[in-house]
Amino acid sequence: MSQAPRHSSTERPLKRVAYVLGVAVAAAALAAAVMPQLARFHAKGPANTGHAALACTDCHKEAPGTARQQLQAKVQFWVGGRERDAAFGHERVGNEQCATCHAREQDSHPVHRFLEPRFAEARAKLGAESCVSCHREHTGVRVTMPATACATCHQDLDLKREPLDIPHRQLVARQEWQTCLGCHDFHGNHKRTTQTRVDDAYPPSAVRDYLAGGPSPFGRDMKYPTRTGGQ
Amino acid sequence: MLAPNPPKKRNLAGKAAIWGGVLAVAAIYLFATRPPPLADGAAAERTVAIEKVFRILAAENDTVRALWTAEIVGAGGKAGLKFHEKWRDADVAAGPLPALFLREAATAVQKTRIPLGLFLGSDFPIAQSNRFTGLQAEHFQRVRATGKPEFFNATDIGRQTAMFPDYAVVPGCVSCHNEHPQSPKTDWKLKDMMGATTWSYPKDRVTLEEAMQIVAALRSGFAAAYDGYLAKARTFEKSPEFGERWPREGYSVPTRDVFMREFERRASANTVDRLLHAFDEPTPMN
Repeated sequence: MSQAPRHSSTERPLKRVAYVLGVAVAAAALAAAVMPQLARFHAKGPANTGHAALACTDCHKEAPGTARQQLQAKVQFWVGGRERDAAFGHERVGNEQCATCHAREQDSHPVHRFLEPRFAEARAKLGAESCVSCHREHTGVRVTMPATACATCHQDLDLKREPLDIPHRQLVARQEWQTCLGCHDFHGNHKRTTQTRVDDAYPPSAVRDYLAGGPSPFGRDMKYPTRTGGQ
Repeated sequence: MLAPNPPKKRNLAGKAAIWGGVLAVAAIYLFATRPPPLADGAAAERTVAIEKVFRILAAENDTVRALWTAEIVGAGGKAGLKFHEKWRDADVAAGPLPALFLREAATAVQKTRIPLGLFLGSDFPIAQSNRFTGLQAEHFQRVRATGKPEFFNATDIGRQTAMFPDYAVVPGCVSCHNEHPQSPKTDWKLKDMMGATTWSYPKDRVTLEEAMQIVAALRSGFAAAYDGYLAKARTFEKSPEFGERWPREGYSVPTRDVFMREFERRASANTVDRLLHAFDEPTPMN
């Protein structure tokens, strides 16, 4: 008959400490996962420009139902017993949440406009029908889309009456897409007059800084400020 | 006396029992119907083809456009009110032209959470960004050739789509487009097909209740567009009279209620009739 191995006198206390530590780490992890006060630690990265004061729940809305209902709905969807998938935990963040603060009476590039069939290329290349395609959240900047994205839709730009000293079609022919935002405010939400001389355009470096979260060359006077006074 | 199972077989049986238990618990958790399952959102009641709803919406739009164009823009112009493409600019004392009134309404619809899309375009638009291309250009050629609406599925976004012809209904449409410096076509005539409205919705069928919600959303868009005009008109240096009177009766602008009441008087009978016949087959042609 074999004999059970003998534990040394220090092995048992060590095991106890390991158990206690394990339980403490698991409890801390669980607390971090469920306590609303610790929700910020779940963020994928820093809030975008102007969003630092927002609560997570301003954008991340709880999905309807209990966790069990949500799981059941998902399984039913996977096995073909339900037509639509269900969200688990939180709803997917979409344009609706952005519009809560950023809806305007007037917008020169409203996202809904890109749902028109002819903007298929803009949808395929840029995802232009969705706010977060240009403003990916938790990146710590203002705009995540390159400043040259205008090229996707405006390749055949040719104005009958030219307001600019260098015709737009020449700028297009020279592929100078980095100059667009030097005069044009994409959403048209700044109170300002569009330049008529290319020399007066904001330099590409100023535009790049602005997109990265820096100061606005378009000024701070907004046509439709958000409820917190931002853009 | 039976020989005992060898240890390996006993282990396998034990593991199978444990896994069976785990699966049974998981199945109860995932498939037992308490608490009740979440609503699927797919209604079991009778549904209407979205094409019929688009026809209702297009008729409503024709009505409000005719009202806005003739009674506000046309008569207002004669009474001294101004309408301009840059009407939103603070230094322009004017209201929106018909195409811009439609755009205002379309923008307002987006705020209703009803996923209805409404766009106005042309093959010869004043703003180049409104020119039809691709799938829409192809369908618009057919609209132009037949004078009838086109229905298709924009598959990349999963949206049912309709295009309805848009005509020059008053002389103002023709003169404005012919005289505009950016207009690529300057020989428009009255009753010409100047373009098309494009409507889109993410479902091919809707319940009657949803159909009514869509119509209500569009109407709220018209009301919001009119409110936008009223807000601007209140800033005019020479303020018009706001009340029951229409521009044809003087330098006056009807209130939102008066405007919408007149719109409803003109549009509702047709809309109710179409909704009552929504389940009839085949689809009415007009």
